[in-house]
Amino acid sequence: MAAEPSSSNIADSTGASAPAMARLAPWLGVATLALMLASLFMVFEYVPTEAQEGIVQRIFYFHVPCAWVAFAAFGLVAIAGVFYLWLGDQIWDDLGYAAAESGMVFCTLVLITGSLWAKPIWGAWWTWDSRITTTFILWLLYGGYLMLRAMADDTPEVARFGAVVGIVAALDVPVVIVSVRLWRTIHPAVLVTRQGGHGLEDPRMIATLLVATVAFTVMFAWLLMLRFAQLRLRSRMKELRRALALAEASAGDL
Amino acid sequence: MMATPVVETHALSKSFGETPVLRDVNLKLFAGRAAVLIGGNGAGKSTLLRILGGLSRPSAGRVTVFGEDSLSLSHQSRRRIGMLSHQSWLYPNLTARENIEFYATLYGVPHSQAACDRWLDQVGLLAVADERVRSFSRGMEQRLSLARAMLVEPMLLLLDEPFAALDPDGVAMASGLIRAQVERGCAVAMTAHGALQLDGLELEACSVARGRLVPYGEESRGGRVRSMPGR
Amino acid sequence: MGSFAALLRKDLRLELRSGQSTLALFALSLLILVVLVFALSPEPRDRAEASAGALWVAMVFAGMLGATRALLSENENGCIRALAMSPVDPAMLYGAKLAAAFIFMTVAEAAAVLLVVLFFNLDFGPSLLRLAPPLVLGTLGFSALATLLAAISGRTRAGDLLLPLLAVPMFVPALIAGVKSSAAALAGAPFSAMSQWLGVLVAFDVLFVTLGGLLFEHVIGED
Repeated sequence: MAAEPSSSNIADSTGASAPAMARLAPWLGVATLALMLASLFMVFEYVPTEAQEGIVQRIFYFHVPCAWVAFAAFGLVAIAGVFYLWLGDQIWDDLGYAAAESGMVFCTLVLITGSLWAKPIWGAWWTWDSRITTTFILWLLYGGYLMLRAMADDTPEVARFGAVVGIVAALDVPVVIVSVRLWRTIHPAVLVTRQGGHGLEDPRMIATLLVATVAFTVMFAWLLMLRFAQLRLRSRMKELRRALALAEASAGDL
Repeated sequence: MMATPVVETHALSKSFGETPVLRDVNLKLFAGRAAVLIGGNGAGKSTLLRILGGLSRPSAGRVTVFGEDSLSLSHQSRRRIGMLSHQSWLYPNLTARENIEFYATLYGVPHSQAACDRWLDQVGLLAVADERVRSFSRGMEQRLSLARAMLVEPMLLLLDEPFAALDPDGVAMASGLIRAQVERGCAVAMTAHGALQLDGLELEACSVARGRLVPYGEESRGGRVRSMPGR
Repeated sequence: MGSFAALLRKDLRLELRSGQSTLALFALSLLILVVLVFALSPEPRDRAEASAGALWVAMVFAGMLGATRALLSENENGCIRALAMSPVDPAMLYGAKLAAAFIFMTVAEAAAVLLVVLFFNLDFGPSLLRLAPPLVLGTLGFSALATLLAAISGRTRAGDLLLPLLAVPMFVPALIAGVKSSAAALAGAPFSAMSQWLGVLVAFDVLFVTLGGLLFEHVIGED
């Protein structure tokens, strides 16, 4: 690995993944900035105001991409969990952990933006609408996963436990969606005047939503990569410390 | 003549967190032979036995048991491993007989009353066979655990301090049982704090010192090793 | 099958001897119901809904205690390691622990149903029998979930706190379906009103029993 710049010599001695990502991250950051500015412009200047809901509806262009990212991140946690249990490579655990943490940020944003939108439209910050409830359960599942990581930090098997919980929770999500939907259709709340149905009749609305979705997805990729690279370095450091302790012990034999 | 070893480790290392517990251990165990791993507290003996039994995974290196990787042992292989740990692995609210019966059933070995009685008799617990293990002394538990480990008709027997807490009678009984297992062709590995002598049994002794396996008697070559017997 | 029977027999025998899990489950259910009666008033407007809700709250929280206790006997002398080393398939081990937890919870719940009838002045009649399908399916799902998660939480610091944090959000679909179908059963609604909820419960059970069987080996293994 002599070709690598000296600053990343240690991390490169076995796997180049962490520094490669660290180099990629700034570019993703730049892309995020550009795309975010573009979507801000589109949301506030380009897209026409929705007829029924008025200006508030514009939060929708941030709300929906966040929701997509939150669900996708959770899928990533589960996929990383499957690979970790299958292959046992620490890289998958780092990926799952990073995805859960980044996903939690977006899941929280979904709840906040949804709440901001619901107050003027539905007249309440919070309703037990099926989609809000599902997202809230998702948030609780993320919370459980992160609490496990925090509380089991000193257990050597924490990665395995995280993988198991990530898989089980993600596969639970479809059942949550179905049950919550049935729950709310059977007892329709008075507040819910229209079941979602955001008519995106104007093509500019669709374009804005698409750009915002790409922007948030790239932002997620950026945050994920930063955290992932950091966790990779942490794992690498643990490995090196272990090797060092081993070498010191061997040196003590002589 | 060199038989295929029952257990073989290649450059086995194990760390807990950053602390190295075993370093570069190369060990072979053969059928019908007994090995003693000698070392002080915390030397890594128990960890080594647990890895050989497939209970713990090595941090580096490879372990083969009956020719299979220790991390993915087949049912057939697991059936042939008996282990005595420092924990008794007995249910305190079951009687001695029920514990024996339970493990015999799990391992698919004869668990008729006569078969269980024979084991209880061999470890001198027949008189208290129907008392709960909760009421047992540490030595009685150790006797029952020995029976539990051996009743599976093992071809690999891993004994972590088999003589701990035993009275002289019990030590004689345990040595007899171990000898019988070796004679029926079982590979035995046991741990001890010092040199052991078992009547009529040739033991291969090696030392585990600070995570390394060295021939017995040579562990002090490194100088510093000796100075930390009770770590 | 011999080892499954042996594992289950062992757990039932231990339970008959101490009565620990079932008694603890029942005692906690009783307390939860008392608290709920004070919180809801014994004559709520919708009696069927309130009593169904109370029953399920008691089941979830008492069930968590039960699952923790069911693994206690395995942890006491390190027996779980003996089981992990044994030739028994981890899925079989999971099945046996799940079956034991299911039996303890069912017994405690039968008693809890009687308490709910008493506390909420429900009619003591054949309509109570209609509670059986949702309760049995819900209990199966909860035992499946809690047996897997308790094996994890039991091996971490502050595991008692961790178990509800993990189990309750995951149990939400079964909780919704269980409460709704139990309320329908108590209100004397036709079976068709319950069927879609029972469908959700069945789906939940199939999912978690399968996942538990597949993943149990990973939560009992050591590094």
